Amino acid sequence: MSKSLENNYPLSVSNETPVFRKRTSKKVKIIKTLKPYFYLLPAILLLGIWIYKPLVSTFILAFESWGMVPGTTPEPVGLENFVRLFNNKDFLTSILNTIFYTVGLFPFSIIIPLLLAVVTHGMMGKIKTVYRVIFFIPMILAPVTVSAIWRWLFQPSTGLINIALIKMGLIHKNISFFSDPHFAKWVILFVTGWGLIGFSTIMFSAALTSVNQDYYEAASLDGSGKFKQFFDITLPLLSPTIFFMITMSILFSSQFTFAYIDILTSGGPFGSSTNIYYEMYKDGFSDLNVGLSSAAAALFFCVFAIIALVLNYVSRKFAFYDN
Amino acid sequence: MIRQKKFLSVIQHLLLIIMCIIAIFPLYWMINSSFKNDSEIFTASFIPLKPTIANYVYAFSSMPIIRMMFNSFSIAILMTALQLITSLLAGYALVRWKFRGRSFIYTVFSLSWLIPFQAIMIPNYVLINKLGLNEQILGVVLPFAVSTFAILSLYQNFKAFPVALVEAARLDGESDFGILLRVILPNIKSTVASLGILLFINGWNEYLWPTLVTRQLQDEPIQIGLKSFVNSDTNMWGSLMAATTISCLPILIIYLVLQKQVVNSFVRFGIK
Repeated sequence: MSKSLENNYPLSVSNETPVFRKRTSKKVKIIKTLKPYFYLLPAILLLGIWIYKPLVSTFILAFESWGMVPGTTPEPVGLENFVRLFNNKDFLTSILNTIFYTVGLFPFSIIIPLLLAVVTHGMMGKIKTVYRVIFFIPMILAPVTVSAIWRWLFQPSTGLINIALIKMGLIHKNISFFSDPHFAKWVILFVTGWGLIGFSTIMFSAALTSVNQDYYEAASLDGSGKFKQFFDITLPLLSPTIFFMITMSILFSSQFTFAYIDILTSGGPFGSSTNIYYEMYKDGFSDLNVGLSSAAAALFFCVFAIIALVLNYVSRKFAFYDN
Repeated sequence: MIRQKKFLSVIQHLLLIIMCIIAIFPLYWMINSSFKNDSEIFTASFIPLKPTIANYVYAFSSMPIIRMMFNSFSIAILMTALQLITSLLAGYALVRWKFRGRSFIYTVFSLSWLIPFQAIMIPNYVLINKLGLNEQILGVVLPFAVSTFAILSLYQNFKAFPVALVEAARLDGESDFGILLRVILPNIKSTVASLGILLFINGWNEYLWPTLVTRQLQDEPIQIGLKSFVNSDTNMWGSLMAATTISCLPILIIYLVLQKQVVNSFVRFGIK
């Protein structure tokens, strides 16, 4: 650490001749003091304008009523938006769906990737890379691309999945995956999960690479089997990464599903596949009810912030760090 | 015992191959469908029996694809460039000097990932309209001109940079900006490049914001244009798959050429 770039320079360095020293050094000093802020200015300014100020605006708009019509100004309405939010049936459905998606994504973001990472980790040389490069492909594709392809595969009358299921005798009638309330949610979950597996696999693989191999050798000498090693060594050593991925999965699942909901089902049929972010989007940009949308945004920003704090605390307390 | 081990390894590879098929089969089906003619598209044939490029011709004639690709490239490149510039400057300042409010600024940067874009989209939309930047590339790019993820990633890299090199340059009379430009940057080229690849892919794939800001077909990036094609209730699956293939071609090419770097950069920098 001592050999790093950090903090090694005093801010004022003056080796001018004594005669000019008094005046220049003051000027130089001011410039020196302000220098770091000049470098930070673009980032801070942009962050302030496009992230933090709008967040404050959202919190204010949550207590106002506005239809986003140019020339009109928002009017304060107190807690009315929040009261309407909780009496809104669609909103409650969207919360339940959000929980459904969050829990449903765990197999795709944690369990399957963890197994894939462990299995490929034990392999030699090139084949390992080949597998990982292939697993990763869905991750780099845009949500629209992914949606277009799966929309075609799940197409109700002539899509490949319906053709295949009928040929195999599993179903007798075509399924309209996107307009059947029993299936829409599951299709969204599956498509989102499909894109996530590769990313999580890579994250777990990276964590595995840094695990000290001595533990496994010692365990092998003690005669413990592969499964026992997985539970006794791999899981505890990976626990920081696992906690990290769980946090990510919970905080981002609604953002991950958002685009697929918008493109594939528009939240339907009958609101059966919507989530909270999609409801905010609809309230704001279809119904032009800025107050309601902002109230939901403010509420869920707080909820997710609390969840993040709690998870951070839990992870610090229970994750095992191998130092 | 050995036999059992071999059996287990075969099972492992079998499962992995199934996973691989699940990962890439949809892409194969997209390309396959894009070359099928109107009658064949509705059959489950795994290779187009009479391959045709009619779908591509139709896709190009019904959407301003070239214009949209140009928009996408401009947006992704501009976004990447701005994000790299702002984060290089900010990351450098955070590591190089000790100053008032440094840890506060660092906290402000690192907490911003808790703010989902859906929570700030309405005020941003209002602001972009006020500035008259809707339907413009700048309007799409501006809210994403800074990436705290990029700042924090570079911060970690700057921190590990050997101080002796900086010291030597300073004694040679190099200015502070010159040190960043001529001493540090050439040495962390590959890191910046992997970060750039990541930011480019993110910019290219950006969804919600471009949908809000661009409403006219010729102003849209390819992804958003494709969306209206997906949602139109026609049965033009062949040409839809052709358009989809074109839309992800640049990213796929980058990935195939640089797969190792792409995977590594995701490993190195984690999630956005």
